[in-house]
Amino acid sequence: MDSATNRLIRYLFLSFLAIWLVFTIFPLYFQFITSLKPVAEINSMVPTFWPETMRPENYSGIFADPGSLKSLIDSLIVSIANTLLSLFLGTLAGYALARFIRGFAGENIAMWILSNRMFPPVAVIIPMFFLFDATPWGTDSYFSLITLYLVFNLPLATWLMMVFFRDAPRELEEAAYLDGFTPLQTFFKVTLPLVFPGMVSVAMLCWIFAWNEYLFANLMTGTTVKTFPVHIPSFTSGSQTLWNLVMAFSMVAMLPPVLLFIFLRRYMVRGLSLGVVKG
Amino acid sequence: MSLKAESVSPDWFKHKRADKNLIVNPVIPWLMIGFPVLILVAIVIYPTIWMGYHAFQNTNMMKLFYQDWEYIGWQNFATVLSDDRMWDSVGRLIQYLIFGACLEVLLGTILALTLFELVKSQLARVIILILLVLPMMLPPSIVATLWKFLLQAYNGAVNHLLIKIGILGPMERIEWLDAGLSLWSLTMVDVWQWTALPLLIVYSGRVSLPPAIYEAAKVDGASQFMVLRRLTLPLLKEIIAIAFIIRFMDAYKFVDKVYVMTSGGPAQSSELPVFIAFQKGIREVEIGEAAAYAWIIFAVAMVLITLFLKYLKKVLKAQTFA
Amino acid sequence: MAELELQSICKAFQHPVLDRLSLKVPQGEFFVIVGPSGIGKTTLLRCIAGLENLDGGKILFDGQDVTNVPPYQRGAAMTFESYALYPHKTVFENIASPLVAAKTEVTEIRRRVQDVTKLLQIPHLLERKPHEISGGQKQRTALGRTLVAKPKVYLLDEPISHLDAKIRAELRIQFHTLKELREVATVYVTHDYAEALSLGDRIGVMGDGGLVQIGTGREVFDQPNSLFVAQHLGQPTINVLDGQLQKDNEDLVFKSDEMQLPVSRELANKLKNDSGREVKIGLRPQFIHCLSEWENDKDLPVFSFQAEVELNEALGSYGVLLVKAMGKSLTVITSPEIHYSPGQKVELSIETNRSLYFDAQNGMNLGTDLTRMEADG
Repeated sequence: MDSATNRLIRYLFLSFLAIWLVFTIFPLYFQFITSLKPVAEINSMVPTFWPETMRPENYSGIFADPGSLKSLIDSLIVSIANTLLSLFLGTLAGYALARFIRGFAGENIAMWILSNRMFPPVAVIIPMFFLFDATPWGTDSYFSLITLYLVFNLPLATWLMMVFFRDAPRELEEAAYLDGFTPLQTFFKVTLPLVFPGMVSVAMLCWIFAWNEYLFANLMTGTTVKTFPVHIPSFTSGSQTLWNLVMAFSMVAMLPPVLLFIFLRRYMVRGLSLGVVKG
Repeated sequence: MSLKAESVSPDWFKHKRADKNLIVNPVIPWLMIGFPVLILVAIVIYPTIWMGYHAFQNTNMMKLFYQDWEYIGWQNFATVLSDDRMWDSVGRLIQYLIFGACLEVLLGTILALTLFELVKSQLARVIILILLVLPMMLPPSIVATLWKFLLQAYNGAVNHLLIKIGILGPMERIEWLDAGLSLWSLTMVDVWQWTALPLLIVYSGRVSLPPAIYEAAKVDGASQFMVLRRLTLPLLKEIIAIAFIIRFMDAYKFVDKVYVMTSGGPAQSSELPVFIAFQKGIREVEIGEAAAYAWIIFAVAMVLITLFLKYLKKVLKAQTFA
Repeated sequence: MAELELQSICKAFQHPVLDRLSLKVPQGEFFVIVGPSGIGKTTLLRCIAGLENLDGGKILFDGQDVTNVPPYQRGAAMTFESYALYPHKTVFENIASPLVAAKTEVTEIRRRVQDVTKLLQIPHLLERKPHEISGGQKQRTALGRTLVAKPKVYLLDEPISHLDAKIRAELRIQFHTLKELREVATVYVTHDYAEALSLGDRIGVMGDGGLVQIGTGREVFDQPNSLFVAQHLGQPTINVLDGQLQKDNEDLVFKSDEMQLPVSRELANKLKNDSGREVKIGLRPQFIHCLSEWENDKDLPVFSFQAEVELNEALGSYGVLLVKAMGKSLTVITSPEIHYSPGQKVELSIETNRSLYFDAQNGMNLGTDLTRMEADG
């Protein structure tokens, strides 16, 4: 291959990258400028690609509805509680699988737990109505959502923590036993610090999933508990969607996961690839 | 004492008991794993069995309310399998898996390697990577809402952007969410959001490859293209496969954007099997039929999951012994 | 008081590793276990420490049965071949770890860690993390963590094998002088025979399933009870030739092709009825001499012959000569100052009293008294 073709191919790939970058960013850009437009400008026949009238008041406007703040708080409660629960249970189970329950039984239990993660939720949701209806809290409760999200997050947390624990050198724990630390002390003083980056990864993935989840929240809850994705369609006036408020609210709601990703992204890759890529 | 073990298997070895654990009581690990397993049994296994039971009953909302459903054998499965609505949706699922999941992995791989090999500045790489991966972090419902807004036919931003560029005439409009295009639009939105996953995985996999092997290739005078084909791609093979499988399994149960963007319409033109099962169970409250649907979907998923997990186990094992 | 006793301990994984191994290490003894890699030396230490559960037998510390005592209550301190330093803790915290576990007072911890680090010459490293220090320093930190604990038994697993020669020599001297190690029972594992001979009050040579021979350095070197031990100890490796015991007039001789070596008087007496027996003979390279540089001034019984030089390696303190004589290859230790060139003819003498005879089938030394070994083990 001569250098001219070589260069041509390079430019081809680079321009593809550039086009994809534009394709990726444009919707986000448009979301941002829409969140700053007045309703009339949005509804005009020809959309503007830069707001003619700036209306940053949209951002305070979304909180005129007290439901907006409450939905964000509800989302926070559900996602944080679910993350802590997933991380706690996943750490326990992952440690047991990595260190104590090995061989045939351990491997199959681990595989079964992970398989739940890939399970189509449709097989779960209908009976869940009746299951949660039977609890004192009912379907429309924090309890139901926090528990439901375990369907996805608990398998992920368990599997990932198992992979991380397996990578932590066993000899360090043994050295701690010989120093005289009991297994419980060893776990907290030696093992947990070793897998701490892994725990950050697991916590982030679980939290982002629980924060973003829409389907279960929409089907199970909506009155007592209303997470933000369920709240979004309520920005209407009559039959008209108030797109500026929808977009402004979306901007606010998607900020936390985006910031988490930007600052902690090096922790995430390992978890996203189920432990295969050592980031 | 003997100089050598007297025989290959002395008596005590033949009657060796199972290893007991000096460090923790062997009950404790089972307790540690017991909680999560119990929870998963309650929220996954129990519902699955419940659905399995109702798949053979003529349950609907009224019957469920009065608790007087009755056994009807395989009739629900017969209804589901003879329904054109189901087979149409299977065709759409296949189309969606090919142009969604497959395309995402292909594009993600190309973009990741382009970014790593051809963008020289470290800072530029990181910024571009963050921007490209952003969509993945966004709530799917927001993504769906946003795209529904962008794809409006008359004053949607996408159509007007195409007019500005000159691809469309000033009066021309593309009906993105019409019966003919709705599934394609859904696929495009999915590609927009999820190409990021294979991209990030492959990029990180490429970063973690040891530079030493590339220096060796450079010394041997291999061209960049050769290095890519003979070194990079074979080394990343497993990582790309895992990225594909993760995307494939997610796409298989994909339903949230269908819900928000098209509700399966117009005229059922963007219904996927999982969505139909939802509709049957939740909107039409034909529990029996929905259960049959769910079990068919579940059975196929189990086959796929089993295959995938076998592969994942192999990859992780190879990694530990590498 | 601290004494270690193993009573016929057994441990197996897929196959038996330790088969009814018994050993007593009295207080103050530095017991070195030497053996080829993969033979189960580390497993033995892990069993003593309590990290592996026994399949049979008993372990006693000070006469107390600790077989079922978990490692964190046993009171053994062990260094790991990989050092096993906590990466997230500083050198100080690493060394203080056993004291923290024992809930020692802070001032006491500080004092004892400082004592130990002074001894090991690493007081300037206390604030560093393990990834910021060199291999030798890591080793000393690991050793410090072991020493500070004041355990009942020290278990040292190849503590200096990964270090470069200079630090190795330095630490070897430290092992000799550390009085901490000399106060309790110490078991030291290595695959390096020189280290074993240098350090061990007694040496145990480990083979398949257990300790093949136990004795002082001189004993196992001069009177190996089996070919395995003879081959494992000594550098360069002992020369081994196949042959037969035969009668030559009244004297017993070892015959291998054209080579014929007289058997020493004591051994000949013991084996006088064994004419015709298949044996292997072991000739240590240091007991074969080049006549040109060696004078038999003590009038030792020797057997002399001519050989042809194949290769000459001049090392620092001695030379190694590979020669061919009577159809056999032999290794000989010479003075490093004299140069031999390949093809050169040399006159060699074997000290026949130093020859070791082994049974051709089971490798037992025909010269040693096996009943004594029995009592020892």
